[in-house]
Amino acid sequence: MTAVLAVHDLTLRFGGLTAVNAVGFSVEPGQIVAVIGPNGAGKTSLFNAITGIHPPTSGRILIDGRDVAAPYSILAALRWLGVGVATACAAVLAIELLPLWDVAIERLYEYRKPFPWGSAVPAAWDLLTSRAERKTVALTALVSLAVGAFGAWSVWIRSRRVPERVARAGIARTFQNIRLFRELSALDNVLVGMDAHLTSRSWHAVLRLPRHRKESATTRALALEILTTVGLGPDAHLTAGSLPYGHQRRLEIARALASRPKLLLLDEPAAGMNPVEAVALVALIRGIRDSGVTVLLIEHHMRVVMGISDRIVVLHYGNKIAEGTPEQIRADPKVIEAYLGAEGA
Amino acid sequence: MAIERRTLAWVLALVAAALLLPAIEYGIHRLPLWPWLMKWTYVAPLMPAIFAFMIVSLGLNIVTGFTGLLNLGAAAFVAIGAYTYSILTCEIYPFRLGWVLDEVIAGGRPSAHATWLTFVLGTMAAAGMGALVGAALSLPTMRLRGDYLAIVTLGFCEIVQDLLKNLDPITKGTTGINPVPHPPNLPALAAASEGSSAFIQHATGIYLYYRDATPHYLLYLLLMLGVAMLCRNLRRSRIGRSWVAVREDELAARSSGLDTARIKLSAFSWGAALCATGGALIAALVGTSIDPAYYDFQLSIIVLCAVIVGGMGSIGGVILGALVMFGFNGIVLVRLSDALAGSHTDGNVLTTPNNWKFLVYGLALVLVMRFKPEGLLPAREVRAEMRPPRQAPTVPP
Repeated sequence: MTAVLAVHDLTLRFGGLTAVNAVGFSVEPGQIVAVIGPNGAGKTSLFNAITGIHPPTSGRILIDGRDVAAPYSILAALRWLGVGVATACAAVLAIELLPLWDVAIERLYEYRKPFPWGSAVPAAWDLLTSRAERKTVALTALVSLAVGAFGAWSVWIRSRRVPERVARAGIARTFQNIRLFRELSALDNVLVGMDAHLTSRSWHAVLRLPRHRKESATTRALALEILTTVGLGPDAHLTAGSLPYGHQRRLEIARALASRPKLLLLDEPAAGMNPVEAVALVALIRGIRDSGVTVLLIEHHMRVVMGISDRIVVLHYGNKIAEGTPEQIRADPKVIEAYLGAEGA
Repeated sequence: MAIERRTLAWVLALVAAALLLPAIEYGIHRLPLWPWLMKWTYVAPLMPAIFAFMIVSLGLNIVTGFTGLLNLGAAAFVAIGAYTYSILTCEIYPFRLGWVLDEVIAGGRPSAHATWLTFVLGTMAAAGMGALVGAALSLPTMRLRGDYLAIVTLGFCEIVQDLLKNLDPITKGTTGINPVPHPPNLPALAAASEGSSAFIQHATGIYLYYRDATPHYLLYLLLMLGVAMLCRNLRRSRIGRSWVAVREDELAARSSGLDTARIKLSAFSWGAALCATGGALIAALVGTSIDPAYYDFQLSIIVLCAVIVGGMGSIGGVILGALVMFGFNGIVLVRLSDALAGSHTDGNVLTTPNNWKFLVYGLALVLVMRFKPEGLLPAREVRAEMRPPRQAPTVPP
């Protein structure tokens, strides 16, 4: 069985600071894996690298055994070329606009007479290929073709592994400091999470085609169902920003689940929760695991971590210092040292 | 749901009132009133231009209100719409949309359809051109937000103005393009004869008032309502939700799998298309493309003020904001100038109403920001956040 997530030798540097240093681990399907470590250990940076927010300095991240970065392909190359050609056309038109207008429109048009389109196009072509203009046109076209294609290429190369691509590959996440769409209703927040699976287009909505109505009805029902599973059914129509803190955390999980992920990354889901809420959260995370979603979480609440994790990865100053079952981790001297300091220090 | 039903009732009542405004004016003019009061009741003839600017404001609302991208270049898209419409329909150019088609349909002879065809095709072409330019502008500015994008759009506005001024053979420079065909009007009607009943005479009178005193009123009102419906449908759909999600938290939106580049592009295209539609309607109404200097930074700012004063992201609010902003400019100031004309205040800089314009705009903006920062008629969600219901604050434990 291939791992849902496999991280190989992942390093992430910000200038001189190495936030994550050659970390490798893998997450098997159906597990709950926790990443723990003292503050500043690089846990959130690791999450950000996995989800494509920070491109890794080196190393590989495989989702379901595959690299999600956009591959080099003929289609991509054709797209750069297409942008280049469009730029070239626009540039030539811009440079030759007034002469073209003069030759192809102004001179041929007699007031209120039918316009001889048949001779306008050859006239324009003759102008562009005339001895006087030929050089300028060719030079402009070539330079702007290169500029346009290079621009398209450079944008593409930087967006090979962007967050939206990772999300569409089946990884959903929540954030340490809640990032909801505060002015959207709870229901709409979940609907945004489902967006990648929707197929209706803007004009369907403008014309209110039956197809659009049907899709919006079924997705709303589904979104309500997801909200009910996290216990927010009654709050569906309240704005996200007006929900109490604990509910906002749950709503973020609901939004992440709405994208039907294979792997759910939870960044400190129990932060700021009281013990009662934390217990309910543990039940929720177990339920998510049992529904077939693999879970990778960062957590400081040791009771939560030890209670639900199948495996634990421990980070310290960007290095992985231990990995194993909760029992192994609890007994690991290196972990105790990292958390409590070396004996006799 | 009860709230929604009440909103619907309000909307229907206001639409009915707007439809009947010229008829009401006609009625008032039959009453024995003082002449100066009569003058103040000629409001409907000034309304079509305001409807066009409402469409422009609704367009900016998509970019700035829904998607949260500060755009200071609305006037540029209005200009693009106006000039596209003018160039494609004016008879001094060979394109003559509508006429050409009409000649084909009617076999060489001009027919009554020409006006309609010209108007519909010209407006659609203007909207398409706006969408195209909007998309082209948003491509290189995809990663910019806030102030940086605002500066780019500001520069774009200046570039468009300069181009229109200097591409003399095409845009006729500072004189503007002229004559631009007018929008279609209601069909002519023989006036009721002497012998007919009072009811028929009044009905004819009202019809003629709609046709001659307030031409294009109904057409422009219906177009504006159609655009408002379009905005509402878009906002409630997948794309509208994505626009607001990008406004609220771009990173969270991307992590939820939204292609934010595409979403911003579509916001810019839709917004620019609506701004350009408004521009085309203005050119058709005035009968000229006006001159490039008209589409300056001030126009952009007034449209932006309409969006902010009315309530960013609220369709009803933006319509109200445009009514307040452009209504003040196009109705109150015009009537005030008329009233003051010939009196002893003539020629005094401070007592010329037109000079108060920006003073009053600025004051209105300050007052709205102080007392109702969410706008005159805010969207439900914004109201909920800016004015939370009174309850015990929920402190994270």
